[in-house]
Amino acid sequence: MKRNTVVLSVVLLLLAAFAWAGWANWEYRKQAAELRAAAVARGELVATSSDAPQFLSPLMNKPAPDFTLQDLSGKKVSLSSYKGKAVLINFWATWCAPCKIETPWIIDLRNQYAAQGFEVLGISADDLDLNDKQKLAEEKQQIAATVQQMHIPYPVLLNGDSLSQSYGGLDELPTSFFLDRNGTVVATQIGLTSKDELEGNIRKALGAGK
Amino acid sequence: MKTILATVFAACLAPVLVAQQQLPLFNDAPNRSLTRTNAVQYLFPEQVSVPAGKPSAVELHFRVAQGLHINSHTPRDSYLIPTALSIPTASGVRLENATYPPGEDFTLPLDPKTRLSVYTGEFVIQARIVAQRGNHLVEAQLRYQACDNNECMPPKSVTVPIDVIGK
Repeated sequence: MKRNTVVLSVVLLLLAAFAWAGWANWEYRKQAAELRAAAVARGELVATSSDAPQFLSPLMNKPAPDFTLQDLSGKKVSLSSYKGKAVLINFWATWCAPCKIETPWIIDLRNQYAAQGFEVLGISADDLDLNDKQKLAEEKQQIAATVQQMHIPYPVLLNGDSLSQSYGGLDELPTSFFLDRNGTVVATQIGLTSKDELEGNIRKALGAGK
Repeated sequence: MKTILATVFAACLAPVLVAQQQLPLFNDAPNRSLTRTNAVQYLFPEQVSVPAGKPSAVELHFRVAQGLHINSHTPRDSYLIPTALSIPTASGVRLENATYPPGEDFTLPLDPKTRLSVYTGEFVIQARIVAQRGNHLVEAQLRYQACDNNECMPPKSVTVPIDVIGK
């Protein structure tokens, strides 16, 4: 009798432990899914099954929000005027050291794929003092100097901060959005990755696959 | 009997331990955003007493979040944003000058030729302040720009709250 009680207690304990482990595992998966969903909504890096974290943007597979910004010469440039071309929207800043590593790669790839209908829009996320004419002129001059120093051949637009909300925060630079010929976001990148990864995403935007 | 009980106990414990192994993800995942938003944390002091009207040295301690670096006060390139301390005027306390620690050499893995001058981990700024007589809740500002090996966050200021008592 005593032995039966012990065995029964142990079995019950075992079942309880398994039940708790199952519940904990379910909770873990549920919360992980919620975190992942929250990260995606904000456009963040999330861990994937591969080693490299991946930038999941809420804009993925959606039309890129249209915008009109001024370039360094004061000319207004709209994203919509690039329809029919594959476009890389590259957010960068003069104070961003990784951006300076990435830019020469983008220039090379732009020159390589331009004939296939590919263009880059560089968008500076540098702060602009829009209410202070003198400061604004100095800030524009600093951006222009960087563009000249790096021999950037594609349009560089100003006031990228104004797109922060529509493009998912832009809390980290460089950040890139790859648009196909219809203006749909087909790939996104945050941070410095590699020239190969940039090229793969450009080819994806061109519809050439990886 | 004892062996059986020990085996059963171990069998009970195993799934519990496995389940607990997974728990850190609950805490780790959201921390990345938090770290990036608050790349620099002011540590101490919260309160200082200094002779009123006389320049006094105060050591301000900060910590840069793990995995990040910020430019030193004297970055090597003019395009980089230096770390700088300021005290608002009309706070009853004036910042006469600040002595910053020298930056440590740092290179990005993908650009080993370019040396950056940065702060990582804990660093101390020696501020020389002049306080008027009385109790002043000063909200100094430390402006910085943080990056990791692959990406940079926009320049930001962290508030440095110090209760300065001028005696």
